[in-house]
Amino acid sequence: MHMKRIVIDYQKCDGCKSCSIACMQAHRETQGTVYDLDLTDPHNESRNRILKDADGQYKPLFCRHCDDPKCVESCMSGALHKDPKSGHVFYDETRCGSCFMCVMNCPYGVLKPDTVSKTKVIKCDFCVNAGGEPSCVASCPKQAIYVEEV
Amino acid sequence: MNECYGCNTCKSADKPLEEFIAGLPMETSHHRVESQSTKCGFGLQGVCCRLCANGPCRITPKSPRGICGANADTIVVRNLLRAVASGSGCYIHVVENTALNVKNIAQTKGEIKGVDTLKRLASIFGIEETDVHKCAEAVADAVLKDLYKPEYEKMDLTEKMSYGPRYEKWKELGILPGGAKSEVFHGVVKCSTNLNSDPVNMLLDCLKLGISTGIHGLVLTNLLNDVVLGEPEIRTAPVGLRVIDPDYINIMITGHQHSMFTFLQNRLTDDDVKEKAKKAGAKGFKLVGCTCVGQDLQLRGAHYTEIFDGHAGNNYTSEAILATGGIDAVISEFNCTLPGIEPICDELKIKQICIDNVAKKANAELKEFDFENRPAVTDEIIDEIVAAYTARRGNVPMNLMKDHGYGNSLTGVSEVSLKKFLGGNWKPLIDLIVSGDIKGVAGVVGCSNLTAGGHDVLSVDLVKELIAKDIIVLTAGCSSGGIENCGLMEPEAAKLAGPKLRAVCEKLGIPPVLNFGPCLAIGRLEIVATELAEALNIDLPQLPLVLSAAQWLEEQALADGCYGLALGLPLHLGLPPFVTGSPVAVQVLTEDMKKLTGGQVIINADAKESADILEKIIEEKRQGLNI
Amino acid sequence: MKYVIIGAGVAGVEAAKTIRQKDNTGEILMISKDTDVHSRCMLHKFIAGERDEQGLDFTEKDFFENYRIDWKKGVQVTAVCPDEKEIALDNGEKISYDKLLLAGGADSFIPPVGELRKASNVYGLRNLSDAQAIVKEADLAENVLIIGSGLVGLDAAYGLLERGKKITIVEMVDRILPVQLDKYAANAYQALFEKAGVRFVLGRKASEAVCEADGKIHKVTLDNGEEIPCDLLIVAAGVRSSIACLEGSGIECDRGVTVDNCLKTSKADIYAAGDITGLSGIWPNAANQGKIAGANMCGGTEEYNDTYAIKNTINFFGLVTLCVGRILEEEGDQIQIKEDKSQYKRVIVKDGKVQGILLQGDISHAGTWQYLIKNKIDISSIQKNIFDINYADFYQVAENGEYQWMS
Repeated sequence: MHMKRIVIDYQKCDGCKSCSIACMQAHRETQGTVYDLDLTDPHNESRNRILKDADGQYKPLFCRHCDDPKCVESCMSGALHKDPKSGHVFYDETRCGSCFMCVMNCPYGVLKPDTVSKTKVIKCDFCVNAGGEPSCVASCPKQAIYVEEV
Repeated sequence: MNECYGCNTCKSADKPLEEFIAGLPMETSHHRVESQSTKCGFGLQGVCCRLCANGPCRITPKSPRGICGANADTIVVRNLLRAVASGSGCYIHVVENTALNVKNIAQTKGEIKGVDTLKRLASIFGIEETDVHKCAEAVADAVLKDLYKPEYEKMDLTEKMSYGPRYEKWKELGILPGGAKSEVFHGVVKCSTNLNSDPVNMLLDCLKLGISTGIHGLVLTNLLNDVVLGEPEIRTAPVGLRVIDPDYINIMITGHQHSMFTFLQNRLTDDDVKEKAKKAGAKGFKLVGCTCVGQDLQLRGAHYTEIFDGHAGNNYTSEAILATGGIDAVISEFNCTLPGIEPICDELKIKQICIDNVAKKANAELKEFDFENRPAVTDEIIDEIVAAYTARRGNVPMNLMKDHGYGNSLTGVSEVSLKKFLGGNWKPLIDLIVSGDIKGVAGVVGCSNLTAGGHDVLSVDLVKELIAKDIIVLTAGCSSGGIENCGLMEPEAAKLAGPKLRAVCEKLGIPPVLNFGPCLAIGRLEIVATELAEALNIDLPQLPLVLSAAQWLEEQALADGCYGLALGLPLHLGLPPFVTGSPVAVQVLTEDMKKLTGGQVIINADAKESADILEKIIEEKRQGLNI
Repeated sequence: MKYVIIGAGVAGVEAAKTIRQKDNTGEILMISKDTDVHSRCMLHKFIAGERDEQGLDFTEKDFFENYRIDWKKGVQVTAVCPDEKEIALDNGEKISYDKLLLAGGADSFIPPVGELRKASNVYGLRNLSDAQAIVKEADLAENVLIIGSGLVGLDAAYGLLERGKKITIVEMVDRILPVQLDKYAANAYQALFEKAGVRFVLGRKASEAVCEADGKIHKVTLDNGEEIPCDLLIVAAGVRSSIACLEGSGIECDRGVTVDNCLKTSKADIYAAGDITGLSGIWPNAANQGKIAGANMCGGTEEYNDTYAIKNTINFFGLVTLCVGRILEEEGDQIQIKEDKSQYKRVIVKDGKVQGILLQGDISHAGTWQYLIKNKIDISSIQKNIFDINYADFYQVAENGEYQWMS
């Protein structure tokens, strides 16, 4: 199956978190620009994050929209599904049963319950509402992340 | 789940403190380290520029220049010069207030406690005045006059206060400073948008700011304070959270301007004021030392035994000191007063008062120090503190740590008291260095930060490594607070030293780490260095002496560091000062500086490696002196 | 090719989807006694009145149409005849198959205590029909007794609290959620349920329960003699695979249907997946088994390897917990606990490997723990606080951009 995936060249990552801010901006519930984005509001959670290994190397963690998504397999409400057309894994929070089996089952630790209500899952949607061009990718000053057809 | 605010606190060299902080129900800086651990690489390297509307511009392989054309070297050194100018400004502010205080005391015929120091300064300055008050006023005026000179007029005291060979070197490099305040102004102009783009030119300005910071900001502040506040005397004192005695109304002091506290300090032991405390149910008042001003008080503690028991902790211990519940008020006049203390003060109903508006905290009441009206303002402050005591005691939880810290830390060490201790001259120390019983001297100075291994971790580990190599350590700044709370300033710490240094310490009954007090006292260390060089008739870079600001934190530390470099001393930093994005800055600071001033920057975050590097430098210098 | 799937739970649904992806023309027939496809894990939301029948459906919109699946619902299989390659239904119909999947799940187990099995007001909580009956009975009931404080028992309590019932839960062990949690983490939930009005009787068993004239049990006597009044009983004492209809079929069964690695039964062309196999009782494993069985019914030879099943997440009253692996302490364990006002974390390590993790309060990004535990990854060389270990320490990007675990 061909799909677009955000490819990560972690050695280029400088840990600037521009991707996280772009993600927060893309998923904020209020209107506005990055200049007025409330960086302290837990409603504006980033779907991606930058981890560090024991040597201090940055390791960006982004949802892979896996070929065999373990989150979907564990979803008992049907809220998560892999879109046969785009290959992306989408999340419908209205169906979600808040069991968080997906959090447990993502082998890479990408998913988390939302901080505010603990009823939703914080999950990358490939910026589908913004035309499917992920904001994080556009914001990376080092081209450490880029979209590729795989 | 328990009541702890968060279990992920950073490490601390002081393990009991680490445990105490991890168990606190409120957030401290130690809790925030983890969530701030992903640092922006651009910021770390100093290659993010937001000096204009085109920014922020960042240097990457695909964008090696900002929109304006500034490359990494320009961006980095501009940022560094900004930081150094700002840091210099802080110290110059301190010396200005200190000199004004001396002048005010002199004019009002107040007490001059340090007549020896006054005479020493008068002699250096060329002031012939026998009346102590007139003399003090003339000394203060000489300092103020220098501070207020324009940038194009060199300061008068630079030559008088500096070592001959150094002065010549600075003259040769064209870095003799004009008026200290004007130099800050000049530096700030220079690094603004689309002005200077020459990294080496700006680095020379950093050195120039280093000289004005060092001689005026550091050295003279100490000596002016000694004139009116009293000279340090060697003695031992308790340190750590144990100094907080809940039977008293406790005032934690933070900042760098000891002169601003003296009136209050004296009032607090007056009978009418003590009566206020007793009426409120306390035995009296105590000042609890925190940050550098606490070190200053400890240093001169021999003069203030009634009001001051000891130093509780440094900058990143301040939150823990407050969290004990035993503090009733915080009076701050400068940094390092962390913004993070504010929610803790609110929660524990601790009154916050600022007496210098440059350090006005958001939730604090501003009661500016006003020499003329000081009796009235001081009494207002005292009344508010008594009110806070009455309102909070019994209503907020106490979480004291009575066994924290140590009971007999050596303090009161200065260039004068140490020489006196050695018998009136430096010969005994020089002999020990020549014989190799003391391999060399390391000044471990500066702050604590939470990122170089954790709170005081690198400083303390480095000190342990150095003393084990028979290198005696002199400290000044918040590093002192951390190192003393880990017990290294107790005479018993001698057993942690190498065999030769240990024998020396045990013979003299001193610890292998000598505490000169606040960061201002870096100036005192440098007087010691200069006097040693003078005694040996060599220039400073030849001395087997190194500096380490292992856990430098603030812009002030960078200005201090520039003084060290101007003096030609090797300077170790645990973390780079946001310059590694510039090849030119790295080359100049770590290599070319050796030819320029004789100094060099060494950056290393590992205690053992750092100690090895510093030891090697000391050994090279010893070889250079054929010892 | 005609594929017949017994059961419309997640194993059956996943199998059907997989079959359709692999065989575009084959005939797929699903047979279930359930009349609505529903997620068993959300029945408490139905009891609470938060969701209706449709709200429990976990399949995508127009699932049966889109995948061209026929569905006979509300019928029960009475016999499977491997030799004839057909099955018999309770409506008398006989259905032939080429490939058959047994995915009929399991039934609640009602222990033979007193007249629990006979009474009309005693329910398990397994199917939507159970939940529907409970809701109906609850309208008449004031006092509810729940036997068992595992996830199902607490689910039932959680749902019924919304209906304002007085609830008592009896548990044999001295703490609730004994399989999933340590005492400390369990106490947190116990306190929340108690605050909401639930009464727990721990370390006690039901010993006597007699039907009264109306055919219902109105009180249960415990092993200490205490009598607990009740109008509605929910028994949450585990499940048994639904293998009654396989009697006489010759299909090998133990506690469940016996299957090989490819989920094939002892009889040709018959596969089994989900709870009926007794391999595990949790959703993701059932889904995975359904996919594998479906693929193999289409000629594949996939193996069911991801068998790890000691894992759960719990979410009541907004307190979230994740538990994977061993919870009980054994000799030689190193146990590390970190705790603050928003979380409780407990990890068991033995010989450099994580044996079990318990996270309460914050389970963010915890998925890596399952991988570390089930694959017995040695973490002793990672110079980090154990709770800070994450995927960065194992990071690997595959050619197609997916992450990988180092093999």
